[in-house]
Amino acid sequence: MDILFDTVILSQLQFALTAMFHILWPVLTIGLSLFLVLLEVLWLKTRDADYYRHARFWSKLLLLNFGVGVVSGIPLEFEFGTNWAPFSIAAGDFFGNILGFEGAMAFMLEAGFLGIMLFGWRRVPAGIHLFATAMVAFGASLSAFWIMAANGWMQTPAGVHFENGIIVVDSYAAAIFNPSMPTSVLHMWLACLETSLFVIGGISAWYLLKQRHSVFFLKSFRLAVLAAVIVTPAQILVGDAGGRVMAEHQPAKLAAIEGHWQTNPLGEGAAWALLAWPDAQNQRNRWSIEVPNLLSLITTHSLTGQVEGLREFPVKDQPPVWVPFYTFRLMVLAGMTFVGLMLWSLWRWQCGAFTAHRISGERALLCAWITAIPVAYLAVEMGWLTREVGRQPWIIYGLMRTEAAASALPAGAVGATLITYFVIYALLFAVFIVFAARLIRRGPDLDILLPAAALKTGTGTTPPAGGAADQPD
Amino acid sequence: MDALQLFLGNIWFFLIGLMLVLYVVLDGFDLGVGILSLFAGDEDNRGVMMASLGSVWDANETWLVVLGGALFGAFPLVYGIALHALYIPVMLMIFGLIFRGVAFEFHEQARRKSPWGVAFGAGSLVAAASQGLILGAVIGGLPVQGDRYTGGIWDWLQPFPLLVAAGVVFGYALLGATFLIIKTGGEIQQRSYYRARFSAWAMFGVAVAVTTWTPFLHDHIAGKWFSLPAFFYIAPLPLAAMLAFLLLMRSLQKGYEHAPFAYSLIVFLCSFAGLAVSLYPYLLPPSVTIATAAASPKTQVFMLTGIGMLLPIMLIYNGYQYFVFRGKVSGRGYHD
Repeated sequence: MDILFDTVILSQLQFALTAMFHILWPVLTIGLSLFLVLLEVLWLKTRDADYYRHARFWSKLLLLNFGVGVVSGIPLEFEFGTNWAPFSIAAGDFFGNILGFEGAMAFMLEAGFLGIMLFGWRRVPAGIHLFATAMVAFGASLSAFWIMAANGWMQTPAGVHFENGIIVVDSYAAAIFNPSMPTSVLHMWLACLETSLFVIGGISAWYLLKQRHSVFFLKSFRLAVLAAVIVTPAQILVGDAGGRVMAEHQPAKLAAIEGHWQTNPLGEGAAWALLAWPDAQNQRNRWSIEVPNLLSLITTHSLTGQVEGLREFPVKDQPPVWVPFYTFRLMVLAGMTFVGLMLWSLWRWQCGAFTAHRISGERALLCAWITAIPVAYLAVEMGWLTREVGRQPWIIYGLMRTEAAASALPAGAVGATLITYFVIYALLFAVFIVFAARLIRRGPDLDILLPAAALKTGTGTTPPAGGAADQPD
Repeated sequence: MDALQLFLGNIWFFLIGLMLVLYVVLDGFDLGVGILSLFAGDEDNRGVMMASLGSVWDANETWLVVLGGALFGAFPLVYGIALHALYIPVMLMIFGLIFRGVAFEFHEQARRKSPWGVAFGAGSLVAAASQGLILGAVIGGLPVQGDRYTGGIWDWLQPFPLLVAAGVVFGYALLGATFLIIKTGGEIQQRSYYRARFSAWAMFGVAVAVTTWTPFLHDHIAGKWFSLPAFFYIAPLPLAAMLAFLLLMRSLQKGYEHAPFAYSLIVFLCSFAGLAVSLYPYLLPPSVTIATAAASPKTQVFMLTGIGMLLPIMLIYNGYQYFVFRGKVSGRGYHD
């Protein structure tokens, strides 16, 4: 087992583990915080107290989710220095700068207003509270923007050149708006919305199935369906656009994802492998189930467009094939299934099944929505595996190799922290599931006092009795 | 290295110092409350102590993220070398921060609260001690050749960093105790007076030892402290720290509510300024200076517009959040 003694592989595994664990949480924070803005606006506009109660209910889940998200994000920032010191030193001028932007512009904004959003309902006027919620949502999405701009730059670096082993920035605009940035940001952001919508819709579906608070949860279920009807197909279009950027700038990655070894001759279409047994040693697939011309069609939007095969690249520049090939297919399968679920949902809505009396009869549909929650998270993980494994053997595509970017740490130290992360994260995940399940089983507090009432009676804005604001010292 | 790059590097030395002070003070009292919670007695008291931080702990910890990003961008060399060299204490700090961070909500949700109470206290203690180890190891000096750390993974395990770690733990406990004096009443407040006094004396003892020891670590530091007229420029710092310490002890004696925290802050600021003056222009003694580590002028200017100019705004909305949640915590726990 050489892996156990290879610092580079252990550092890669540790980053993969910590990143894949971390992504679980901001995905929901980003989508749910936007949903909270929507609920608060609806409440202030319609004065329907249910929207306020919804906001309070979903923010409990957000809070539980947020804590794990914050603490699991810190390792990622520091791992760049601890485990990838040569990368940090070489790329800090751009990459560190962007992480700094993320912290100062986005993360701090989110944190600076989170307390008011969660605990400030009776301490600030409604307008300020809405502003705080909007800042949390904006900060969360802006944070995704900077992270994906930085990650996109690792995929398709632009606006820089190497000089004495250091990356020098020629143009910030070109580096930030690197070729894959727009589709990367949008694809991740839509993934956040999509996953959150399935969490909102799926949890609502569970209550509808149990016939608990049916009128109440039909509201959130309908909102989730309406939004997901737009987001799920949009995600497929954005994914396709991202694929074409990849074909242009990361052809070896695309070839690996598709298990495509041999460039198709001019005038002949490249086939798309549904399933295959990739064999890197012999530079071919041992077997595959193929659809003729489909790879040309999806990559170039023409039946006979040329798609470069992996054999065009030296073996040392080829990414692994197995992982991206299958993770990509699972992600796409999930995305397609979600579109199908939307068509089904719309059809049942059309049939008039979305009423408080009839909705609980839609058992299969509601169960599908509940099942969609873990599937959506899995799709996100599969997407990240495709993206990052497909970038190998580069840490900055075409510029810096992963193996040259790792700190020369003793393998034992990295192995020990890797195991520690695994144990801690397994524990946190299990505890979160238990508490989240308890929170959902307990249900919403429908007797909660409206904040406006508390404000009018004057109990909200002043600090509780015994306040120390006017002490003599 | 041109003059502009060095000039910008000095600005960033100052700004990062400022962020470090903000982090150390804000998360300092935060972690300090955590350390003190180990002695809370029961879970109700511990719940109140956690509640005093409920609305702000996340923002306090975010200063660490901002600080990390700014250091990464402005001095990539320092970021790479120091974090690589201090792998174990950095990871310990992260594990500590993870446990104490999730404990806020998990303690609230759990039926059996004590495991998360311990996670909160022990996590805070480990994080604080690790930060002290990191600081002590950096002051003590890291062996560097070119852009690579050349020491071993256990190099930080020396008497000096351990001493600094003790100082940071007591210092944070002092900040935490004086913060609890402001935010709580009754039994917790009374105990906090006693704990503030204890932490202050302990911190004082360690600070004297560290201050005496530091000049002997590096010639350039000794050069500043034991030569004229440099001594006269920096001598006011330890004197001001001494004065603030005396006023702190007096205010604790008199039972003031706000003054102890303010005087603790002054002690911290003076110690910190003394440290910054001693180290300057070194970032990682004995070899990495502002001049060798600064990012390109282009990056530093871009970061000044994106981060430097945002600092006042960050301070304003962070301050607003403190203002909204001013006053004593009600004993009802972490949620509103």
